Amino acid sequence: MILRLVALRCFTAALTLLLVSAITFIAVELLPGDVATSVLGQFSSETARAALRMQLHLGDPPLDRYFLWLNNLLHGDLGLALSSRRRIVDILLPRVASTLILSAAAVLIYVPLALFPAVAQAVRHNRPLDHTLSTVTLILASVPDFLLALILLVIFVVALPVLPAVSAVTDTTDLAGWLRALVLPATTLAVVMAVYAARMLRDNLIEVLEAPHILMARLRGLPNWRILWFHALPNAIIPTLNITALNLTYLAGGVVIVEKVFGFPGFGSLMIDAIRFRDVPLIEITVLIASAVYVSANLLADLVTLLLNPRLRQARA
Amino acid sequence: MTDLAVHDTRSRWRDFCRSSSVSFRVGIVILALHLLAAALGPFLSPYGATEIGAGVPLSGISLAHPMGVDQIGRDVFSRVLNGAHIVILLSVAGTALGLVLGSVVGLLSAYVGGWLDEFIQRLIEAFVSIPYLVLGLLAVYAAGPELAGQPVLMVVVIAIVYAPRIARMARAAALDVVIRDFVTAARLRGDRAWSIIWRDLAPNTASTLLVEFALRTGYAPALIGAFGFLGFGIQPPSPEWGLMISENRNLILATPVTVLGPGLALASLVVAVNLTAEGMARMLGRSVDLAVR
Repeated sequence: MILRLVALRCFTAALTLLLVSAITFIAVELLPGDVATSVLGQFSSETARAALRMQLHLGDPPLDRYFLWLNNLLHGDLGLALSSRRRIVDILLPRVASTLILSAAAVLIYVPLALFPAVAQAVRHNRPLDHTLSTVTLILASVPDFLLALILLVIFVVALPVLPAVSAVTDTTDLAGWLRALVLPATTLAVVMAVYAARMLRDNLIEVLEAPHILMARLRGLPNWRILWFHALPNAIIPTLNITALNLTYLAGGVVIVEKVFGFPGFGSLMIDAIRFRDVPLIEITVLIASAVYVSANLLADLVTLLLNPRLRQARA
Repeated sequence: MTDLAVHDTRSRWRDFCRSSSVSFRVGIVILALHLLAAALGPFLSPYGATEIGAGVPLSGISLAHPMGVDQIGRDVFSRVLNGAHIVILLSVAGTALGLVLGSVVGLLSAYVGGWLDEFIQRLIEAFVSIPYLVLGLLAVYAAGPELAGQPVLMVVVIAIVYAPRIARMARAAALDVVIRDFVTAARLRGDRAWSIIWRDLAPNTASTLLVEFALRTGYAPALIGAFGFLGFGIQPPSPEWGLMISENRNLILATPVTVLGPGLALASLVVAVNLTAEGMARMLGRSVDLAVR
């Protein structure tokens, strides 16, 4: 039974990605009118446009082109980038790797940043600390990420002059250089993510702390810290998993802004450049990857929720 | 009789004020200030929005320039005042268009059901799974270079980003309504689908959609700002706040206030609308989660 559910969920995820590829193809290759003019500009020569049309198979019917592109994609052939004429795989892999490192750093900072304020608020429920932290998280939730990045930049670059204002990393950057480059962009991403999770975790914790099994544990005389961390928190965290999945999906778009602010050469800045230079194949693949991150994060969250909660397993079946 | 009616509305107003939370009232006050700035800003601002040489570039905070002066000598405070109506109008227009599109699709999907509902749901899921910023950039690209930087494109982009998310919400709310007896009665009476959607489904999902609209409107200024910041939104010399933050970011170490000024305007607008929306939702007896990204 559970296997069928998992299979079904995986199937819809694959279907969603297929639809995303169709939407992307339509938006990038069909909507802007003549792609060659759109890429090369109004004043390009007719021969240049004709050459580009040849390279992109623009003469073929749209449906054929879509299936050819999809077929190549499934065989791992991403083709050449228009602007640099390099293989897209070669451009993409280092950028994706950098962004994965950035995301991992962001998640590492995110977990304690969400956990500790939420626990502190739940313990001090309706006391000044709770209200203060609630106000702070509410305000932080309303500060757009690009602004938060700039504010952190002012605070950290002025207060801790060791941090660079531009997080440029190259192949030759050493570990210390990487760490310095990662602090600001990762912290920005982590704060944006943590705000939502902390607010939700606080509410869940307060609810769980009033549950009968917690009262039972208190009556058995267990120490408070044990009740909090081992009895209440595991129960309160499960609903936060969906928020964490949502946060991972935020990362897929958030890196675009944050990498731009700090000049971090990752996947997000690659996507911005692809759109700025109207690099058709590169736009298509970067959008698809960003959606794949969203789809797989949601898939993972659903599967974990399914496996962690036996009641849900029966209810859905 | 008239006296009584006046007294009645007055006490109801007092009840309303008393029942509203502190955060709701704070939100309303900040929001009112923003609306005031949007309406009167261009008349109150001491300098023009694009007036070059209003002050000494990078001269920092002074009484004449509370938010400093930018690189080419424009008064940032005047620009912020002149930008308020741009940000607010674009946000409201974009979200409203998204609300209309999303509600129509969502309510229709819930009413019709069957394979069409299934198909629409999958399509919505696909749109939602493209990160909102990426979807917006895709829309900017698809619109082509002629429309780039036009305010109308920003309105359409916000609508495209929001419509699928609103449609999902509208469908979920309508699913509870379509099974009710009065909808079955209308169906049996032979009412047309559009009439049922407009007369039965829309009014009964209105409070959910209203809260959704308010929350989305609250986040729209940040979205517009993000596009302006990346250079894909409103173009210079417009005093749109995100664009201004982007233009002044090189000054952030020299005169931070030229960035933090428009930033404060943007953040306080988002806070105000969020607080108001949250308070409104609570009065309508609904819980809201802040995660509207």
